[in-house]
Amino acid sequence: MTSRVNTRLMRSSALTWALAYVLVGLGALAAFAATLWYAWTFTVLTAREEILLDDAQRLTAVFQRDGVAALTARIEERIAMQIAGERALLLTDSRYRKLAGNLAAWPPGMEENTDNHAVTASLAGQPARTLLVVRTLPGGYHLLVGRDVTLSLLLERRFAWGLGTAMTFLLVVGALGAILMRRRLLVRVQGIDATVSAIMQGDLRHRLPSRKSGDELDTLSQTLNGMLDHIEYLIASVSNVSNSIAHDLRTPLAELRSRLEELATTRPAAAETFAEIDAAVLDLDRVMRIFNALLRLAEIDSGARRSGFVRVDAAAVAAKVVEFYEPAAEQKGVRVFFEADGAAAVAGDPVLLAQAVSNLIDNSLKSVAEHGSISVRVSCRADSTVEIAVADNGPGIADIDKPKAAERFFRGDTSRGSPGVGLGLSIVEAVAKLHGGVLQLLDNHPGLLAQMVLPVPGPRPAA
Amino acid sequence: MKILVVEDNERVARFITRGLRESGHTVDHADNGRDGMFMAASERYDVIIMDRMLPGDIDGLAIIEALRKSGKRTPILILSALNDVDERIRGLRSGGDDYLTKPFAFGELLARVDALARRSSEGDAQHALQVADLRMDLLSRRVTRGNRTITLQPREFRLLEYLMRHANQVVTRTMLLEAVWDYNFDPQTNVVDVHISKLRQKIEIDSERPLVRTVRNAGYMLSDHD
Repeated sequence: MTSRVNTRLMRSSALTWALAYVLVGLGALAAFAATLWYAWTFTVLTAREEILLDDAQRLTAVFQRDGVAALTARIEERIAMQIAGERALLLTDSRYRKLAGNLAAWPPGMEENTDNHAVTASLAGQPARTLLVVRTLPGGYHLLVGRDVTLSLLLERRFAWGLGTAMTFLLVVGALGAILMRRRLLVRVQGIDATVSAIMQGDLRHRLPSRKSGDELDTLSQTLNGMLDHIEYLIASVSNVSNSIAHDLRTPLAELRSRLEELATTRPAAAETFAEIDAAVLDLDRVMRIFNALLRLAEIDSGARRSGFVRVDAAAVAAKVVEFYEPAAEQKGVRVFFEADGAAAVAGDPVLLAQAVSNLIDNSLKSVAEHGSISVRVSCRADSTVEIAVADNGPGIADIDKPKAAERFFRGDTSRGSPGVGLGLSIVEAVAKLHGGVLQLLDNHPGLLAQMVLPVPGPRPAA
Repeated sequence: MKILVVEDNERVARFITRGLRESGHTVDHADNGRDGMFMAASERYDVIIMDRMLPGDIDGLAIIEALRKSGKRTPILILSALNDVDERIRGLRSGGDDYLTKPFAFGELLARVDALARRSSEGDAQHALQVADLRMDLLSRRVTRGNRTITLQPREFRLLEYLMRHANQVVTRTMLLEAVWDYNFDPQTNVVDVHISKLRQKIEIDSERPLVRTVRNAGYMLSDHD
């Protein structure tokens, strides 16, 4: 389908261009021929006519000066001297009877004083195309002076032939060029088409052919290849995430399924049945929690929440979260310290920032042992950024795991087995990104130091 | 209470109506927008539970907007499978009073329905709250139980105030998070439970009668009777 559409498109575009160029060529040729034709008619033919008029004038003068006998002698002499058929001459009396000349008889229909009659007359026994000047002399004599123009007719015909050949040549070459161009383009476009079709079949590894020649199609191919690289990367990360989702949702779903199936087959006593049903609801809640976290992540990633950004004091947000977690920490015997050097304004979503800080504290609370400590610090840094740092003295994250820690569903060895859905740090990172900042995971010697570095809104202070 | 449930999914509708009837409410049910619209406009209900997406040409939000335009002030709880903040805001802006995302625990729904009905029946101009012998003076911000004065942190005060305003009603953890902390996310640790237990330690000492009850699978209730 696509292939046919492309072919038709190519055909029309290549041929249309070629045709347009051929037409322009023909137009130029026609303009050239017209100019030449004009010059030929008005210069060469007029000059010839003037020579004939001169001849007629001279012979008329001979007649007026010396009479009809002298003119007859002059005409005979002239005919004897010239190349056969060069000049047509005829002198007749008033009744068109021949007195002298090389024409057999007066051509019919040439009775009046006329100039420039192109007629076919018999010269030296053969019919020839002739240019004629006719004069009526005193006493009723008729004089005819003509010239055989068969030769110039030949020239004209040759010129017309030449013009026709040139035009045909132009047409043929243009058509050939168009076909070649089309075929060349078609081959390349079909290459692109085949690749794209293969990609549409689902194999994203294909790339468009590129010859490094740097022409338009090459540039296009390279741009499209860049796009394909990006799409492939995105698809790969999406499929990574879906694999993790499948894995992380499958586990609780499998538990739930086996619980229900076991319930259906063993049919235990009512009390136990209800306990199992309650447990099943808890399993489902766990699934829902993962699901909600994923939806939240998708919502943050889409950037839609950016429209609701307001000026927020990050220090106040963090202080509230610390206060929120204090009783829970106290219960576990963990001390939480909070430190902020004044207000730290950022442009952001207060609830999302609170969730990010909450996730960081939650993580630390899960990882530190009893009597451990967590310290939360909010500070304005010299490079006009705000830093929200959560540090603990728990086991931390191994250096090789740090780059992966914020990936979706990543569970380091230390956190395996502890509750959580493996999306906490992903959400923190997504929130940081949404605010134009970054999440850095560093070593606290011992423990983890997680820093969210967010840009400060508004005009930057002069450097 | 008389409650209208507009919900097209048969199973969900049965789950809601049965639960509400067991809790002693009178329930009418409409399974499409047209009937729902007609019933909401012609009958008097204490609370309407409205599904956001309904089959046919009238959806939940359109009904709510039409009802509000015609002057009906009945509290409306929107049920929706859409969880975006934008959707929530759109729902509340169209005239809904609360927004609950599917799937939900029945306890959460019941607690929110009770809270909506209570909100519409009581005025805000109260200066003091009292549950059993626990008294809260909202002007001087003094809390006493019997003759004993209780000292509370500001956040504990707000938590207790919310519980007292919704006395004898179940309030869920999510409702507390939203009302006391303005958080609409789900902390992975049971932080709310810890706050409640701290509050309990302050208002229920020695041989005093327990006031805050834990309602299984739902949340908490501050109650003045056993």
